[in-house]
Amino acid sequence: METPASRSRIQLNPLRPLLRNPVALKELRGRMRGPRAFVVLTCYLMVVGGFTTLLYIAGTAATYSTSGEVDGGTLGRVLFGSVVAIELFLVTFITPAFTAGSISGEHESQTYDLLRTTLLPERQLVFGKLFSALAYVLLLLLAAIPLQSIAFLFGGVDIEEVLISLLVLLATAIFLGTVGVYYSALTHRTLRANIMTYVTILTVILITTAGAVIALAVAEGLNPSTSSTGSEWFLLIVRGIFVCLNPLTTLLATQQYLVNQQTLFTFQYTFSNGTTTTLPSPWIVFTILYLVLSVVVFFLTTRHLKRIEG
Amino acid sequence: MSIDTPEEKVIETPSGEAATETPVLTEVLPELPTVIDEQDLIIETRNLSKRYGRLQAINNLTLQVPRGAIYGFVGPNGAGKTSTMRILTTLMKPSSGEAYINGHSVVSAPREVRRSIGYMPDFFGVYEDMKVWEYLDFFAACYEIPEAQRPGLINDLLELVDLAHRRDDMVDKLSRGMKQRLCLARTLAHDPQVLILDEPASGLDPRARIEIRELLIELAKMGKTIFFSSHILADVNEICTHIGIIEAGQMVAQGPIKAMRQQLMPHRVLIITLLGRLDDAKEALLHVEGVQGIVDLPPEEGKTRIKVEFTGEDLRMSEMLQALTSKGIPVVNFAEESSDLEAVFMKATKGIVS
Repeated sequence: METPASRSRIQLNPLRPLLRNPVALKELRGRMRGPRAFVVLTCYLMVVGGFTTLLYIAGTAATYSTSGEVDGGTLGRVLFGSVVAIELFLVTFITPAFTAGSISGEHESQTYDLLRTTLLPERQLVFGKLFSALAYVLLLLLAAIPLQSIAFLFGGVDIEEVLISLLVLLATAIFLGTVGVYYSALTHRTLRANIMTYVTILTVILITTAGAVIALAVAEGLNPSTSSTGSEWFLLIVRGIFVCLNPLTTLLATQQYLVNQQTLFTFQYTFSNGTTTTLPSPWIVFTILYLVLSVVVFFLTTRHLKRIEG
Repeated sequence: MSIDTPEEKVIETPSGEAATETPVLTEVLPELPTVIDEQDLIIETRNLSKRYGRLQAINNLTLQVPRGAIYGFVGPNGAGKTSTMRILTTLMKPSSGEAYINGHSVVSAPREVRRSIGYMPDFFGVYEDMKVWEYLDFFAACYEIPEAQRPGLINDLLELVDLAHRRDDMVDKLSRGMKQRLCLARTLAHDPQVLILDEPASGLDPRARIEIRELLIELAKMGKTIFFSSHILADVNEICTHIGIIEAGQMVAQGPIKAMRQQLMPHRVLIITLLGRLDDAKEALLHVEGVQGIVDLPPEEGKTRIKVEFTGEDLRMSEMLQALTSKGIPVVNFAEESSDLEAVFMKATKGIVS
């Protein structure tokens, strides 16, 4: 029973407007009910925590400097980078699993028709599904922040880096989530939606990594005396796009510029003829690209759902 | 015309158990005060067709459901009932033709149509990880019912479908009949004018079937138009004011149930059981005006039975009884055969399934 007091307390909740979306509310209720949400969170933290411990043991052994002291900064960076990498790996695999069944599951449980004959707009359906899945992924990411922060004990890592890594992870989750919902809307089978989502993700990762490596190799193979600034620009942009389409390369490149140039938002690129140019840091390009792509995929999904069976 | 009770008070249901529980229904029926204007159509289709590849699922279907009717949509499996309902509920586009609900086209104004209808499919799932009240709250929100109104609405709906005591139970703990009633409550969340129910009684045990039937009558009394499909002619016979028979995608007959009976079965049928003097009885009956023919039926428990086909009003039946008793013929049972809807159905359909 809701008492007037409890009602006024609920209305202070900043998430209230989001919970007006009936699908989001229903999904969150369903997701957090029972032991499943707790078990997934525990397993996730155990995996991340376990790896961190192993890395700490291995790292302390490897980073002994000649003086016999542990190089705290290096160990801190290794630990931080590894935790982020593990999180990235888990987010990449968990997010699609949460969203690829979102619409196809409604078909499989024969509830989709009931939903379609209500006044619920398609964008609210898609948003609700996505929001509830991402809210849980966000919970996983926030829960792992203490593990990332162990790196602070050793130094070498700044709070900005933690925030940037969180942003990149979140952008990754948003994009992969929308891709999962898209395939879930496209096919009426959850298994097929899962496979299609993972195949898409693996393809993106392989193509971007291969593209970035090839572009880098070509750029290094250029003869500085004969190559023009124009072709260098071209290769730089191609490489940049490949790097910024892949969260892992984005994080590595961002980290590299941060360590080498100590700048957070931009970096300097020096051409072979000695001129330099200032470019935005990869994490900015990545975040914008992934958010724009997410919006595009979101609209493709709602457009597909609006179609009435012919 | 006004809704009358079917003339036959003795209703044969497939199971004797069901028959003993039906009096509740026959008591509520006369209370239906609605006057149905046959011209005021709330569901209307014109030359509606649906083709799946080479299969013609619906063929030039013209459906007319007057406001306030309980319309039974009857036909063999595969006749096109579900396809028609999916078009009416905006889930599927027709290949050609038009369909209107409450004056709104299902193709060009689907939102208005959805606002006017409550739909229950033949097979549906319920979200298993929800409580009963959360389930209704979710759908009420989907129908844009303001949050402040929902708790009251949910209680009213649960009261109506007799599930108030299960308010806080998980949906998957409910029996099939209860889930069906919960789904019916869900269709009512936005107070629609038309209920489109695909086989609402299928797969239910006799008690649950009767409960659903009572509920439909209750809803009709609240002024809702009910358009439902069914295989079970007994259900249709008992509660419908109108009936449409579909076969191979075509409407073979439709209209008020009484008119349909008269149109398709001009003869009324009377079963008389005698202790003897069969020939005298036949002789006496043949002299009564309107008697068309007499057929011998196989005797039951040693008693002679005859089937009399006749035309005309109830007065003829009284005359027949008088003719028999005035001659001292031992009549032990004298009743009009009530399951004539089955005969109507058999006569209207040809057993074609597309």
